[in-house]
Amino acid sequence: MSERAADVELVDVTKRFGRFVAVERMNVSIARGTFYSLLGPSGCGKTTTLRMIAGFEQPSEGEVLIAGQPVAGVPAYRRNVNTVFQHYALFPHMDVARNVGYGLRQHGVKGEEERRRVDEALALVRLGGLGARRTWELSGGQQQRVALARALVNHPTVLLLDEPLGALDLKLRKEMQLELKALQHQVGITFVYVTHDQEEAITMSDVVVVMRDGRVQQQGSPQELYERPVNRFVAGFLGLSNFLAGRLVEHHPATGGAAVTIGEGMAIHGRVTDPEARPSAGAEVTVAVRPERLWIGRADDAAAERTAGATRVAGRVRQATYLGDQNEYRIETALGELVARRQNSEGGGALPGVGPGDPVLVGWRDEANLVLVA
Amino acid sequence: MTSGNESAGGRGRSRAVTALLLAPTSAWYLLLLIVPLIILLVFSLGARAPEGGYAPALQLDNYLELPTRATAFFNTLWMAAGGTMLCLLVGYPLAYYLATRAGTKRTLLLVLVVVPFWTSFLIRTYAWMTILGNQGIPAIAEGLGFGHIALINTPLAVMIGIVYNYLPLMVFPLYVSLERLDKRLLEASKDLGAGRLATFRQVTLPLSAAGLLSGAMLVFIPIMGEYVIPALLGGGKVFFVGNALVDLFLQSRNWPFGSAAAIVLILVILFAVTLYLRLGSRAGIQREVSIL
Amino acid sequence: MDRNEFRDLYHDLRRGRITRRHFMAVTGLGVASAVVAACAPAASSPTPGPTAEPTPPPSEGATPAPTIDVNADWTPPEGVDLGDTLIMTTWPNYHDQKTLDRFKELTGVTVQLNIKGSNEEMLAELLVGGTGWDVLVPTNYTFETYGSKGIVEKLDLTKIPRFDASRYDQRLLSPAFYPAGSKDQYGFNKDWGTTGFTINTKQISTLLTTWKEFFERTQADLSGKVMIHDYQLTSIGSALVALGYSFNSVDDAELAKAEELLVAVKPHLFAITSDYQPAMRSGDAWMTMTWTNDAVQLHRDIPEIEYVIAADGGEIWSDFFAVVTGAPHREAAYAFLDFMATPKVAAQDAIFHGAPLIDSAAIALLPAEATGNKITYPDPASLTKLEFGTAELLTSQARADLWARVKSA
Repeated sequence: MSERAADVELVDVTKRFGRFVAVERMNVSIARGTFYSLLGPSGCGKTTTLRMIAGFEQPSEGEVLIAGQPVAGVPAYRRNVNTVFQHYALFPHMDVARNVGYGLRQHGVKGEEERRRVDEALALVRLGGLGARRTWELSGGQQQRVALARALVNHPTVLLLDEPLGALDLKLRKEMQLELKALQHQVGITFVYVTHDQEEAITMSDVVVVMRDGRVQQQGSPQELYERPVNRFVAGFLGLSNFLAGRLVEHHPATGGAAVTIGEGMAIHGRVTDPEARPSAGAEVTVAVRPERLWIGRADDAAAERTAGATRVAGRVRQATYLGDQNEYRIETALGELVARRQNSEGGGALPGVGPGDPVLVGWRDEANLVLVA
Repeated sequence: MTSGNESAGGRGRSRAVTALLLAPTSAWYLLLLIVPLIILLVFSLGARAPEGGYAPALQLDNYLELPTRATAFFNTLWMAAGGTMLCLLVGYPLAYYLATRAGTKRTLLLVLVVVPFWTSFLIRTYAWMTILGNQGIPAIAEGLGFGHIALINTPLAVMIGIVYNYLPLMVFPLYVSLERLDKRLLEASKDLGAGRLATFRQVTLPLSAAGLLSGAMLVFIPIMGEYVIPALLGGGKVFFVGNALVDLFLQSRNWPFGSAAAIVLILVILFAVTLYLRLGSRAGIQREVSIL
Repeated sequence: MDRNEFRDLYHDLRRGRITRRHFMAVTGLGVASAVVAACAPAASSPTPGPTAEPTPPPSEGATPAPTIDVNADWTPPEGVDLGDTLIMTTWPNYHDQKTLDRFKELTGVTVQLNIKGSNEEMLAELLVGGTGWDVLVPTNYTFETYGSKGIVEKLDLTKIPRFDASRYDQRLLSPAFYPAGSKDQYGFNKDWGTTGFTINTKQISTLLTTWKEFFERTQADLSGKVMIHDYQLTSIGSALVALGYSFNSVDDAELAKAEELLVAVKPHLFAITSDYQPAMRSGDAWMTMTWTNDAVQLHRDIPEIEYVIAADGGEIWSDFFAVVTGAPHREAAYAFLDFMATPKVAAQDAIFHGAPLIDSAAIALLPAEATGNKITYPDPASLTKLEFGTAELLTSQARADLWARVKSA
C-alpha cells in the first residue's frame, strides 16, 4: 500500500469548534483508487473530516494534502474534489441535465461538450434519457444517482460521499451499496465514504477507519478490523462480541501471545490484538470472543471433548432465536451470559431438542480469544 | 346508484355553500372595486362643472389632455422603479444577513426592523422632514466641512423617504425566501467549482427570485400611488401622479381630468403587474432566471 | 393718547357724542379700513367697486337685542342644548387655543379644528358634501359660490345677539351678502389682511419691495430659499402683479405669461406650501409669500423676519365666520359665532393671530402694542395698489388648470 501514491493525506489534523474538539491529531493516508470509509457513531468527527477534505472547513492545526499538494486556504470551489451530499442537495430550479452539467459549466465546459459528458455520466449511473426531468419528479434512488453523476462528471481526484444512502430504504440501500462498489471499480476514482453503518463499511470498503470522539481508533481492511480489533470499542462497533473481563498473566510482545485468567481463575490463551500495546502482567484486560466462534453442544455430547476447543464452560440456554441465516443462543454460564451463533448452512444451525432451560456446554479455541488491552 | 345521486346532491349543496361563503367577498369587490371603477370611467369621459366637480358629457378631451401630465407620470414611474431598485439593493443584503443569523439574534434583528413601524407613518415622515431639513443632516455636513447640501424638498429626500418607508415590504418576502433556501445547495455549488459570486448568481438569486419579485411588486405598486411622502419631503416640487390627483380633485376640482389620470395610472400599474406575473412564471418554468 | 383718553373717546362714541368716523380718525384705526375701500375690485365684480358710495352704517336703533351689553363677558344662550363638539374648518395658525379653551369652559363644547391650505380645498370637499363641518372661515370672494350652491346658510342673526353690523365697516362686511346688495347675510368678518411676503433680514440684507423683485431674486441669488403658496389664487395673482397685470386677471394671454413665469420659478423654490411658518422658523427658507397674520406671528417670535406689502400690488382680503348648511352641531355653531362676535373675545384672539380686526368695539379693546403693530395696521399708503380677489378667481377653470399644470411641471 505504501508504494502507491496517496490521493488524500491528513497530517496531525485537529479541528476545534470553540472549545469543542471535533477531530484530534488525525493522521490518515488514503491511497489512490481506494474505497475508503470513515466509520463511527454520530459526533465522532467523520463528517468534519470529510468537510475538511472538501474545503468547507479549515483545520485548526495540521495539514490536509490532496494529490500530494497542501490545500490550506484553497477554497472548496478550487479543489478537485467533489461531494455527494447526504440529502443530495440537487438544485431544484434546474432539470437533471443542468444539475449534472453544473460543475462542467463552472469550468467553462459548455454546449455540445457539456451535453456529451452529461449524457455519459447519466449513462454511467443508469439514468440515460432522464436529463430533461425535474429533480423532484425522481425517486430517492434516482436522485441519489443524479447526485453521483453530478459529482463524477467532473472527474474529481477524490469523491467524497457523506452518508449518501442514509435516506434510502433497506433494500434499495443494499442494491446501491453493490452498485457504488462496482462504480468505484469502474471509474477508479478514490472514494472517501462517511457512514455510521458498520455493515455498509465492511461490505464496500477497501480500507475502513473507525473514529470515536474525534480520534482514530483503528485503520485497516474490513477483515483486519473484524478479526483483530485493537480495542473494545472497535470490537463492539464492528460486529458482535462476547466480552470477558480478565487479568493478564503473561504477554510475549514478539508473537502477541498472552495468558489471561478469566472468571474464577480460569486460565485461557490468546493474542493481544494491538501490536503496539505493552501491557504489564497483572493488568486488567478484556477478552473478546465472536459469537460465531463459540461451539455449543449438549451437556452429554460425547464429542465435546474433542471438538469444543481448549476453553469449555457449562451453561443453561436462556433464549434461542431463529435469525434466518443463523440461530442465536443466549446462554447463562459462570462467566456471565454468552451469545453464540450457528450458521444455518444445510439446516445445521439449530441444535435439535435444545431449548430454553436446557443444560449445554459452550467451548472455543484459543485462536478465538482476542485480548484487548484498552 | 343511490350513493352516486347522494354525492351529486352533496356537490350541489357544497356549491351553494361556497357561493354563500363567498357572498360577502363578492359584494365587497362589487361595491368597493367594480362600482367605483365604473364611476371613475364614466367621470373620465365627462366635463368639469363650472364651479368644479363633474358635469355629464361624452368626450375624450380629458385623455387628450393627459400629455400635459407626462412629467408627473414620468416622475412617478422613474421614482417607483428607482425606489424599488434601491429597496432591493438595501433590502437584499439585509434580508440575507437576517436569514443567515441564528435563533435569538435573528428574532431580535427582525424585531428591530419592525419597531419603527409601530409609530405612525406620518410621524415617521415628519421626523424625516427634520432630519433632512437644514438643521439636520445638512447642518452636520456643513459642520464637518462638506459645504452646503440641500436635501429637504429634493427628489433625493423623497427617495430616502420612500426607501425608508417601503424597505420592510421588500425585506420580509426576501427574508422568507432566503430563510427557506437550503444552505447545502450553496455548499453543493461551491463543491462543484462555483465561487461566491457564481453561486449567488446561479443558485441564491434564482431561488430567491420569487421573494424578490413579490417584494418588488409590494414596493412598486404602492410607490406608484404615493402621495404623502412627495408632499411632505418634496415640498410640492417633487410631483407624483398621486399629488396630481389630489390637486385635481381637491384644488382645481377637475374631476373628469382627475378620473382620466387615475384610470391611466391604474393601467400603468396593471401593465407592471402583468410584467411581474410573466417574469414570475418564467422564474418557475425556466431553468435559470438570470436577472443580472 | 393714553388708555384713559382712549376709553373716554370710546364712551363718547358709544353714547353717540362723536361720529364713528371721527373716532376712527382720531385713534388711527380707521385709516386702514378707509383705504381698504379704495382697494375694492372693479365695478364689474360682485363686491362694491371703488366708485361705490360708502354705505352709511345702520342707525343704532336698528341693532337687535339691545338688552345685551356687548362689552360684558360672553355667556352661553339659555335653554339651548349645544352638544359637546363643534367642527370648524379654517386656516393654519389662525386661532388662539386659549379662545377655544375658554369656549369649552363656558359651554362644554370642544372645538375641533380642521385645517385647510386654500379656499379651493375647502370648496372641493364642500362640493362633495357630507363633510360634517359646522363653521367655516371663508374669504371674501367665496360667498357668491357658497351662496348660490347653498353651501353656507343665511345667518339667523337672532342667534348672534352680540353681532352688530353698525360696528363693522360696510364695505368689508358687504361680500357676506348674497345675492350681492341684498339683505341676506351669510357671514360676518373675522379679520382682514394682505398677501405680501416675509423676508429673513439676517440672511437677505438688501430688502425687496415688489413682486417683480420677489420672482426675479428667487431665480437668482435666493434660489432654493423661497416659498410660494400652494394656492392658485394668491400664487398666480402675485405672479400676474409681478408682470404688471391685475391680481384678478383672467385674460388668457396674461395668464399664459404668468404660467411661464411660475414654471421658470418653480425649480428655484424651496417649497410650494401654504404652511410656510415651520420652514421660515427653522431657517430652511429665507423668504415666503405670507398672509398678514402669519407675518405677525413670525415677526413676534423672530424679529429679523420682516413683512413687505409689495409696492407693485397684490391682494387684500377679509375672512369671515359662516355656518355650513346642515351643520350637525348648528346650535353650537351659532353659539361660537356669537362668542367670536363678542368684542372682548375677538380682541383677545387677535392678540394671538395678529390679523387686523374690523369690529370697532373689539379694536377699541386692543392694547396699544397691537394697534401700533405696523404689520397688522400698516401705513395706509402701502395698501393703495392692493386688490380684493373676485369670486370668479375661485371657480375659474383656466386658473385651476394653470396651477395644476405648474405644480405637475
